[in-house]
Order: sequence, then structure tokens, then C-alpha cells
Amino acid sequence: MSVDKLSAELEAILVRRIEADQLVLPTLPAVAARVLDVLRDPDAGMKEAAQILEKDPVLAARALRMATSAAFAAGTRKITLQEALARLGTRALKALLVEASAQKLFVSRDAQINAALKALWEHSVAVGILARDVLALTGTGDSESAYLAGLLHDVGKPVVASVLLEVERQLTEVYQRGWIDSGEWLMVVGRVHRRVGVALAERWQLPAPIVACVREATEYDKGDRASLANAVCFANALAKRSGIFAGAVDAEDVDALVMIGRSVIGISDDVLRTLTRGLRERVRGLYD
Amino acid sequence: MPAILTVDDSRAVRTIVGKQVKELGFDVLEAEDGIQGLEQLAQAQVDLVLLDVTMPNMDGPAMLQSMRDGGNQTPVIMLTSESKRSIVAGAMKLGISDYILKPFKPEELRSKVLSVLQGEGGGVGGLGAEPAVEVSPAEAGAAAPAPAGGRFVDVLVVDDMENVQKKLRSMVPQHVSLNGYTSAASALAACRERVYRVVLVDTEIPDVNSAVLAQQIRVLQPHAALVALALRTANDVTKEVREQGFDDVLFKPFRPETIDDFLLQYFDNQDFLQIEDNVLRLAPFAGRADKVDRFYNRVHAVFADALEKVAAACYDEVVLDVGTPPLEGDRLPKLVNAVAEKARDFGMSLALVGAPEVRKALGGYTETKDLRLFATVQEARAGGAA
Repeated sequence: MSVDKLSAELEAILVRRIEADQLVLPTLPAVAARVLDVLRDPDAGMKEAAQILEKDPVLAARALRMATSAAFAAGTRKITLQEALARLGTRALKALLVEASAQKLFVSRDAQINAALKALWEHSVAVGILARDVLALTGTGDSESAYLAGLLHDVGKPVVASVLLEVERQLTEVYQRGWIDSGEWLMVVGRVHRRVGVALAERWQLPAPIVACVREATEYDKGDRASLANAVCFANALAKRSGIFAGAVDAEDVDALVMIGRSVIGISDDVLRTLTRGLRERVRGLYD
Repeated sequence: MPAILTVDDSRAVRTIVGKQVKELGFDVLEAEDGIQGLEQLAQAQVDLVLLDVTMPNMDGPAMLQSMRDGGNQTPVIMLTSESKRSIVAGAMKLGISDYILKPFKPEELRSKVLSVLQGEGGGVGGLGAEPAVEVSPAEAGAAAPAPAGGRFVDVLVVDDMENVQKKLRSMVPQHVSLNGYTSAASALAACRERVYRVVLVDTEIPDVNSAVLAQQIRVLQPHAALVALALRTANDVTKEVREQGFDDVLFKPFRPETIDDFLLQYFDNQDFLQIEDNVLRLAPFAGRADKVDRFYNRVHAVFADALEKVAAACYDEVVLDVGTPPLEGDRLPKLVNAVAEKARDFGMSLALVGAPEVRKALGGYTETKDLRLFATVQEARAGGAA
């Protein structure tokens, strides 16, 4: 099957599943297990749980979905995972984690696909960290909400990736057939993820600023310079320039976005240098 | 005096830009569109062009294209209300130095103009020069030597009391370069010629308004940290100096612990281990006792990279000069043992250089008691050769 055909069919299937609320989303088992451990500790609080949970975009999105209500829809409060978890309560969160742990994230037979999958996760976390730091260091916007917006800006990618892994397992293990290579795999993810991410964010009624980041992270909004979307757009370009990304990168495009973002958000060269210092170390090991 | 050409169809923008650029001490030329801009470039020596995108007759990208086609490589900063990445990416291909989105803050314009004219590369050069992958602390240290008297200097001290700079000089490591001036005029002259990492300004210089001096230094040294030198008082000095435009405060008289914090804040761990050929030199430790662990942790974090560099240069022996390090506990033996093991991994032997007390500290541990220790680097090299 060609990449075009596979992309089109996958997109249609995923959007249908999202609309019918039949999407099964595997998550990082290690993250769910660690949060469950924290919840068993009577001295630990939701803050600790949120700090671990915010390493997995899929799990974070699911927690947000469960907690999303008038509190976030009003759009006036900060959008943080800690706040969402506090609304959920320990019992509901445990139920979510147990359910999530039951959905195993398949592993590809292709080491390069596994590496790309890891890079997808690391890119999301890197964009979350950078978006938060950009607004914190410039003191211009809501840095607390920026992490979640950055983490979820490509939420369609792990969704598409996990379904591709499921298809691969069926084809190769059940039907003993071949599968696409890592280059084609990334092309499919790249083509399909945006629409899937937007459909998911809208269907799950994620907070509006996060939906805006999922919808468009490639141009700046001049009207609201310190917006979450601008911080995420800049962070996305910076993470790509730092090499924390899976897929092809247009270097000229990325450099232009960094140059524009410096002026739009008001980032000095000193802050720029600080932002990516040690970034790779900060995201490493989260996926394993 | 450098001349700046501002090309913009808005008279208001040309007026505002011209005023700010003149305040920096530059001549200003004006043009209403690309055609006039090219005419100005043909007639006058211009050091920098501030270029709008959307203009009648000839727009900014067309003027830029025409400049480059004609071999004119004058630096250009795009100053525009256009933020589409495709347009900026196109201009970057033609070699713009930086980009400013309208409306802009005066300090952004000043900072970027000075950055380009002072030859620091501005946005594109700066960004291009920035590595896509992070630089390790050890590499950053190797890339940031700042010889005293050169263009790049670590610290500038502006204080009318000469003994202040002398005292500071005696308390910071020798490899931290330092200039000191007792008058505002000479300090400003130095700021025009050199690039500083940290500028320390006395808040009580007679007949000088330190807030105004800070602003002037900020314009000339946009990338430097500006730190006030102040006496400890009952007032909230930190708040006061921040309101005057300083980033931070360093209290006089200097104390070892505050100097230690100052060095950690502005020079981080980049200077903890210096490399010269096959010799690794541990920086002297002058901080308070509760910072010793941090000191050793930072050395632990950087020595492997340093050893790799020595091994990559094909040395079969590495010399570790520990000087007179803090000797409490087993921190030094642990560090030396870790270095020896890592050196072995790289196929190198280890020779140590240090004070006699170091022998005593290492002698109590099986792993380190038999390591070769010399009094000087020369002896270590001779011993290794023998």
C-alpha cells in the first residue's frame, strides 16, 4: 500500500474512531506505574503525580479530558495538570491509570521506528519545557499553562503512531506480511497527525488555548505576542533546531521561525542561549 | 562615525528610528522606498540598513535582492510588521542580520543595531553560530577564554576606590580576566572597545548618577550582566538597584562566600577544570565549606569530557594538577580514583600534581595510595617520560 493511500485510510479511520469515541490509546506503562506508586504514598500529593504524568502527552490529554468542565471552558484560569488532577480526585485518577496501564504500547520490529517513536515523545516534552521556560524567562505570559500546551501541540502524533504499531503487529505477527520502513512510517505520521490531533482535542473539549496550539504551531500571532500559541511555535522551532525531533526538518524555515519569535516574544540572545542548555539531558530517559 | 540607512514608507517610523539611532551616536540616512534606498547606497557609505518589507515602488525584499545581486553586502536588519515565516526565510537566504517586528521597543532596536555594528553577528550570525546541539560545560569553558586586555573580558569593575578592584582581583581565580576603572568616563570608553560578560558598577561614585551610568553601559554592553556594587544597609538594596536598572547586587566589603556565589552565578562550572595539552588543572576552591560538595560534583560532571579530549589528541598519559583542593572527607580520593579509572578506559596512565597534603589524603585509600604524585607539572611530565 502506498504512503498516500495508507495515510488517507488511517486518517479516515482515526477520525471516525474519535468521533464515535472508540479510540483506544496506549500510554507509557512506566509513567502510569510511577504515578500509581506516588498515589499509594500517603505523604505524596497531586503535585508529585502531575510532575510524572506530564511526561506523557497521551496520558496528560486523557486526564485533562476527564477533568475538563466549566472550570477550564471559562478560559480565565491557568491550565495546569495539577489543577486538573485536583479536580479529578485520587479515586478517578487511579481508575484512569489502571485502565491506561492495561493498554500495552506495542514495540516495532524496526529499531528505527522505535527510535522515531521515542523521538516523538521526547520532542513533545522538549516543546513543553521550552514553551514554559520562554514565558518564564521573559516574564511575558502564562508559563504554567505553557508546558501543557507545548506537551500536547502534537498530540495527534502518538495517537497515529500507536495505531500504526498496532497495524504492524497484526500484519507481521498474525498475517506474516511485510511492513513499511521508518521513512515511510514518519511520512504517514507527518501527514495524518494534525487532523487527528485537532479532531481529538475538539472532541475531548480540551481547553481552547491548547486546541489552538494543536491546530497551528507554524505561524505567530502578532496580536497577542505573549500567547501560549506563540510560545509553543517558538519552542517547536527551537526543539527542532536542537535536533530533538523525528522526521525531516526544513532548516531555513526553522531558523526563520526562531528569528521571528525572538522579536515577537521579546527574547534576548542571553535568554535564547539559556533555553536550550542541557535540553537533551532534560528529556532523555523519559520514554524508557 | 557609522551611518545607518532607514528605508520605510512611513515618515513616523523613519523619525522614531532616526531619533533612537542618533542617540546611539550614529549618522542617519532616510529613504521612502527601495528605489530611494538603492540610490542612497550608491551615493553614501552606509554601515547598516534598517529595511521595511511592504513599500510602494520597490519593496524591501526586492531592494535586498538588488543589493546582493549588485555585490552590496551591507548588513540589513528587517524592521517590519510582516511576520510570515516564508517572507523572513526568503530574506534570510539573502543574508539579513536580524529581524525586528513592529511595533518594537527602543531597547530591542538599540540592542540589535549595536549587536550587528559591533560585529557580534546579530540574529542570523548569532543563531548560525549557536550549535544545534548543546555545548557541554567543559566545551563552553574551552570556548570562553577571555584574555585581559583583549576584546573579550570577563569582568569590568567601575568604582572610584581603586582598592575595590584590587581586592576583587585577589579573590577571583587568575583565569577570570578583569578590567578596573575609577571614573565613569574611562569605563564608558572601555565599554565602547571591549565586550564584557559582567559589569560591576559602584552605586556611590561621587558626582555620578549610577542609574544613568547603568543605562549607558546597558546600551553599550547589551549582553553583559549589570551588577551593582553596594554597601550592606538596612534598606532593601536589591530592590533599589533593580529599580535603577541593575540585574543584581554584590555587597561590599567582599566576603569569600559571596564571591563564590558570584563566580558560580556568572561563570558557572565552565572554569572548574582547565585543559592545556595533556594537563587538566583543577580550579582553586575559595568558597565556604558547604559549597565543597557542589565543587566536587561539578568537577565529576566535566572530567570525562576533558579526558576524552586528551585521549583524542593521542596522549598516552594525562596529568591531573589538583593544586590545593579541599581535603575534608573522601571527596578527593573518590574524584582521583574516578579520573584514574576513566583514564584507563581511554588507554592512558595518570600522573598527579599537588601539594604534600594531597599525598596524605590519597594515602589512606587502597585505590589511590599508589598513584604517582609530583610537586610540579614539569616533574610529572619528566616522570612520565622516564
